Amino acid sequence: MGASEAKKKVPIKEGLFKVHTDEEEGYLIGSRCKKCGEYFHPKRVVCANCYSEDMDEVALSTRGKIFTYTIARTSYPGTPLTAPFITAHVELPEKVSVISLITDIDLDKVKVGMEVELYFWKAREDGEGNEVMAYAFRPVSN
Amino acid sequence: MAEKEVVILGVGITRFGRVTGRNPVEMAREAGLMALKDAGVDFRDIQAGFCAHVNQPMGTGADCFAELGMTGIPVTNVEVACASQSRGVMLAGDMIAAGIYDMALVIGVEKMPRGMVPLGGELSDMSYAFLMGLMPFPGTYAMTAQRHMHTYGTKPEHFGRAAEKSHRNSRLNPNATYQQVYTLEEIMSSRMIADPITMYMCSANADGATATVVCSREKAKKYTTRPVLLVGWAGGTPIYEKGEPMLAEGPTELLGKKVYEMSGLGPKDVDVAQVHDAFSPGEIFAIEELGFCPKGEGGPFVWGGNTEINGKIPVNTDGGLVSCGHPIGATGGRMIAELSWQLRGMAGPRQVSGNPKVALLHNQGLGGTNVMIFKM
Repeated sequence: MGASEAKKKVPIKEGLFKVHTDEEEGYLIGSRCKKCGEYFHPKRVVCANCYSEDMDEVALSTRGKIFTYTIARTSYPGTPLTAPFITAHVELPEKVSVISLITDIDLDKVKVGMEVELYFWKAREDGEGNEVMAYAFRPVSN
Repeated sequence: MAEKEVVILGVGITRFGRVTGRNPVEMAREAGLMALKDAGVDFRDIQAGFCAHVNQPMGTGADCFAELGMTGIPVTNVEVACASQSRGVMLAGDMIAAGIYDMALVIGVEKMPRGMVPLGGELSDMSYAFLMGLMPFPGTYAMTAQRHMHTYGTKPEHFGRAAEKSHRNSRLNPNATYQQVYTLEEIMSSRMIADPITMYMCSANADGATATVVCSREKAKKYTTRPVLLVGWAGGTPIYEKGEPMLAEGPTELLGKKVYEMSGLGPKDVDVAQVHDAFSPGEIFAIEELGFCPKGEGGPFVWGGNTEINGKIPVNTDGGLVSCGHPIGATGGRMIAELSWQLRGMAGPRQVSGNPKVALLHNQGLGGTNVMIFKM
């Protein structure tokens, strides 16, 4: 690797989300069915609502509401999260449910219906020194 | 109806237990021989075999059946995660109803790996959640439970009460992994696993095997005058619902309706039930979806003792998954065995009074859901 080469931010799973850059906000990548208008995350090839294969790749809303959650008290070996942590289904305005880590809130303060916003965090570095990024939601800061 | 009627002629089960050190083939043989003896049949009468398992190597079915005999019959392995064995019985039921076979044997066997159950889902669209460790095994049950609490006001103690009842029932079942009564307080204060699910609300990993002899009614006449009839069965996977988060492992409510229609019976006719409680909130979700109580009232329904052995609709009389333990591929056969014994009046200290006539099974997992209904 050339000494001048900058560290890159790479998603932990390709095609799932676009990490923010200096020029552009990051977002979760979804699909929108051109035929029936249904949205999906992660993206799909076949629409689960109308079976069309005519799908657009879209940027999903970065804000949503907690549909339900739990507090994981045990971590899975080999995964980047250390218990306890909050895991949730976040419902986006497109009526898409996203499974996500919830951070920046006390464990006993999390509630169904809470408004949350997307952000990205560094899960680890890969062998080439790139920052491997993951997503999470946290309470809306406004 | 042109189809042939189907009978559960014999059942077998090993003791379930944590890390027994027993070989899967040896456990399968024990359960298989017990089922053949219970049915009063010879292995040479079996025309087809099904072997349900999740974690065993390829060829397990042929190896297990070879322990019982080598008559050249086709043996097919069945994997539907936690719902494997009952799906095997359903497949045998389909074939017997269609007149393809008169008699089949379904074995479920599992030797569980040590430690946490390896996560599935690497191939699914939720693979990010698995990769991140966001979906620990009670995750879906816990999130469904939280949503239930939010929507209906269900309390964590309601889930605790279901576990307390299961552990109490398992004291009457020598085959159960747990042989201990836990008070509600002990259950609620046991280690939190994924809120609101505590350790004693979770089924234990267990080794074990089960077996079921499935037979046509005509053929069964030779062996019994009081056959347990399989009068309705349906299996399924989750159905996409526009704009709904996919929390369910299968369309239990729809499958319930299908089996009620197929059998001409309804939830009020059911005298005893086995439902899938890998974690004790499962009992509350299932009894609502199967119509034993109105939606949202499962918590108070269980709290009021309605699912006790002497309750309105006894559920998981043998301790369920929570107390029996969960040898994944074998669990369905444990449910069928218990219901068969209940209908035949052979459940000993766990026997539901008043000669139960109709029994319902609900077995589900990451691979899908099965609902079956039996009649004496």
